[in-house]
Amino acid sequence: MLLWLPWIFPLNGKPHANWEQFLGRFHPLVVHLPIGFLILLPILEIAGAWRSALRETAGLVLSLALAACLIALTLGYMLAYGSGDAGPGVVRHMWGGIALTIGVLACVLARQSWLSGRQMRVYPLLLVTVLLTLVWTAHQGGSLTYGSNYLTEYLPSPLKQLLPGSATSDAAPNSFYTQYVNPIFDHNCVSCHGQSKVRGGLRLDSYGQLMHGGHDGAVVIAGNPDQSLLLERISLPQSDKHFMPAEGRPPLKPEEIAWIKAWIQQGASPTATSISGVLITGKSQDQTLKPVGDYSSLIPKIQQMASRQGAKLVPVSSTPSDGLILSTVDAASSFGDAQLAQFQEFAPYIVEAELGRTAVTDAGFDTLATFTHLRALHLEGTAITGAGLAKLRPLTDLDYLNLSGTKVTSQAIAPLASMKSLHHVYVFDTPAQPAASSDANQLTSKGAQ
Amino acid sequence: MKQHPLCTDCEQSPDVMCMPIPAGLKQEWAAIETRRRFLGRSGKVLGWAALASLLGEQGLRGDTAPQSGPDPRQALKAPMFAPKAKRAIYLFMSGGPPQMDLLDYKPNLAALYNQDIPDSVRGTQQLTGMTAGQSHFPIAPSHWAFRRYGKTGTWVSDLLPYTAQMVDDLTIIKTTNTDAINHEPAIMLMNTGNMNAGKPCLGSWLSYGLGSMNDNLPTFMVLQTKVNDKENNQPVSSRLWSSGYLSSEYAGVGLRSGGDPVLYLSDPGGVDREVRRKMLDAVEELNRQTLTEIGDPETNARIAQYEMAYRMQASVPELVDLSTEPQSTWDLYGPEAKVPGTFAYNCLLARRMAERGVRFTQIYKRGWDVHGNVTGILPILCSETDRGCYALVTDLKRRGLLDDTLVIWAGEFGRTVYSQGGLTPENYGRDHHPRCFATWMAGGGVQPGITYGETDEYSYNVVKDPVPVRDFNATILHCLGIDHNKLTFKFQGLDQKLTGTTPASVVQGLLA
Repeated sequence: MLLWLPWIFPLNGKPHANWEQFLGRFHPLVVHLPIGFLILLPILEIAGAWRSALRETAGLVLSLALAACLIALTLGYMLAYGSGDAGPGVVRHMWGGIALTIGVLACVLARQSWLSGRQMRVYPLLLVTVLLTLVWTAHQGGSLTYGSNYLTEYLPSPLKQLLPGSATSDAAPNSFYTQYVNPIFDHNCVSCHGQSKVRGGLRLDSYGQLMHGGHDGAVVIAGNPDQSLLLERISLPQSDKHFMPAEGRPPLKPEEIAWIKAWIQQGASPTATSISGVLITGKSQDQTLKPVGDYSSLIPKIQQMASRQGAKLVPVSSTPSDGLILSTVDAASSFGDAQLAQFQEFAPYIVEAELGRTAVTDAGFDTLATFTHLRALHLEGTAITGAGLAKLRPLTDLDYLNLSGTKVTSQAIAPLASMKSLHHVYVFDTPAQPAASSDANQLTSKGAQ
Repeated sequence: MKQHPLCTDCEQSPDVMCMPIPAGLKQEWAAIETRRRFLGRSGKVLGWAALASLLGEQGLRGDTAPQSGPDPRQALKAPMFAPKAKRAIYLFMSGGPPQMDLLDYKPNLAALYNQDIPDSVRGTQQLTGMTAGQSHFPIAPSHWAFRRYGKTGTWVSDLLPYTAQMVDDLTIIKTTNTDAINHEPAIMLMNTGNMNAGKPCLGSWLSYGLGSMNDNLPTFMVLQTKVNDKENNQPVSSRLWSSGYLSSEYAGVGLRSGGDPVLYLSDPGGVDREVRRKMLDAVEELNRQTLTEIGDPETNARIAQYEMAYRMQASVPELVDLSTEPQSTWDLYGPEAKVPGTFAYNCLLARRMAERGVRFTQIYKRGWDVHGNVTGILPILCSETDRGCYALVTDLKRRGLLDDTLVIWAGEFGRTVYSQGGLTPENYGRDHHPRCFATWMAGGGVQPGITYGETDEYSYNVVKDPVPVRDFNATILHCLGIDHNKLTFKFQGLDQKLTGTTPASVVQGLLA
């Protein structure tokens, strides 16, 4: 009977009555019950070999698990049906849930014969299958809610490289669409209109899907922004019923809407690299900061450093993953290479090192090279000659380097030209300073500024 | 304690109320007793934990044992989100610079010389007492020509040749507007977000919200430019950099514009740093006893300020010692910058403060209140300030500091397009005008090379993209990593904010 549900109430991506959605939203709450019962079950069964009372309890737990499965399944179905979710992720999770429930039912039936000693292998095998189904289904459910990269997003990078890469894109990699339009959709829309959830039958995670449209037809009409439903929806006032992004998500920024409009106006091309009339001013470069990882265990040590050293580590913002700034202004003249080396244990979390007017020398570059997430390095007014600047090459996030008022020469700074991320280099009042106008006091690599 | 001879009616052990001391002192003591009873503790009035929570969380910097005392400046330490700018320098043009003579180009006005501004344009704008009595409001076109500069082709008046050189780095806002028509309310509004006195100013909010970068210099410093008596100077008082209801260590610390930057900075003869330190330790001990007895948080502010004064004895002489500046500095700022008290000198000091991690520096230049004799006085004002502004921005930029420093140039309102007093082809006056005035910002967080907003052809009304003062301030806070709605302080039953109770928003069009 359970198998017939998807045909009686098809998940066709259209939302339905509010009461279904209201009840359905208890699914994420209730679903943890069968998970708990089913995990407890093998523990009780195995422990029951030593204490038979536990085996009786296991029977109760199994029955409870079945009941909980049925309730969770019903609520889950209401949730999917009510909110109009569709898409492969939802479907997989649904079938997993149905299979799980059937499996648990089979366990209930098989347990009788196992207890009585007639068929000793069926029940344990079924139980294992049920557990594996549980893990798989639960993972699908988690991915639906949090995105498929939830568990791997913060995986340490050496391990991350072992993972298979993401889907290939069907638009040119340097196109305006890929660089500016797709990230907007990725950030604001794909959680409901993407691979795992396909509301309204519309996917916005690739160019082909975007142009294909959804249940209401095409949402982007090339060359005609006024007739494009997507643009209409995102331009509505936030209080409007049809406003997108839905469910209280913040509206797109005015310039983002303007970019999309201009892109549609000029043909919604997957290959065009620039759109006339749209001046992207390098905003997207540092839009989101790379998270530096968790240093909460080091906080007592960081506090100690402040009171001992004079130089201190200050958070960039109240979001710890934004990183730390090494500030030496209170201890400048006494802060040298040895003191710098003491900060090496915090190296991956330091995103900015303010070493202006300190006693740091070229020998300090060895320590600095370990600051893998460093974005800005201040060395103005120090005694460096630039001899070790090449050691900074591994710092792929370094964007800003201030060498003003030092003795660096043009040869010394030559290795910096190959560092792609380095956009701001200051050599005012150094031998390397270009002779001409004040514009040239600042070197930029690749002319990107 | 033995009974005092004059105390005839106390049988029990004498207490303050029985002593023959003035009634006023007895009242004060009664007030302290009431506070102690109100706080419900005996002996120690406030536990250190309670004190810490009063002053805000300590966060990452941490405080060690209570004996050393939490540094009150470290309350609310980090920016709310990663900021573009770490520090700000505010060049305040007190008096109200005339926008149509400087940055708001209106070539059509030349043809309207001496014509009355239409009533439809003026609308119901309240006029000040100085021009309300005028029967005519003749349009006074700008006496100076405008030219286009930079890659952006921005129009700048001939009065600002230096500012014109840096238009590609500036974010010019033509549509800043206010509601105040006179100086005191207007300047209070720009600084504190409210026309009435008693609220903390922008610098105090930043100090409160972000804390200090440098322990040895105040977080918020104020520099005043020496007054030129030829100009119409409006008063600038210390309540403009006051901390209002925030703890008083967030108030701005002013450096004097002549003589010693800080009075009595050096120790007198026979007193060296060691002696000074011992004296301060003793005073601090006494103050802490008072703190325990009475529990007034301002005592902690006092302790902090004594400590800051001690540190400033070393740091301020170094700050104002310009002998180490290379010749390139004087080439850029001009020889005026060697004279303490001039605007150029103050700009140079502001750059040095930025290098040394002062969070917020505010420079006041008075005299922009050109009610009359605009052609005579405005060139003087511009020659005093133009080069300094250019030098500051350029100096910060070439030293790599502009990326994370926000420079702001603003007055408290604009000026009228019609003449105040007599209009001649050679001269005119301009009255206060709140509905639109020009300001600019540069540096961390703002988009360089843009002109934001449009005024009408009379430079009277805003036509597009108004920026009221609260939005202006909200944007500044945003550049420094603060959500203006979330930086609050509970006072008088309200979660007070710099941007006030009328909803304000960050001006997205200005942001980089």
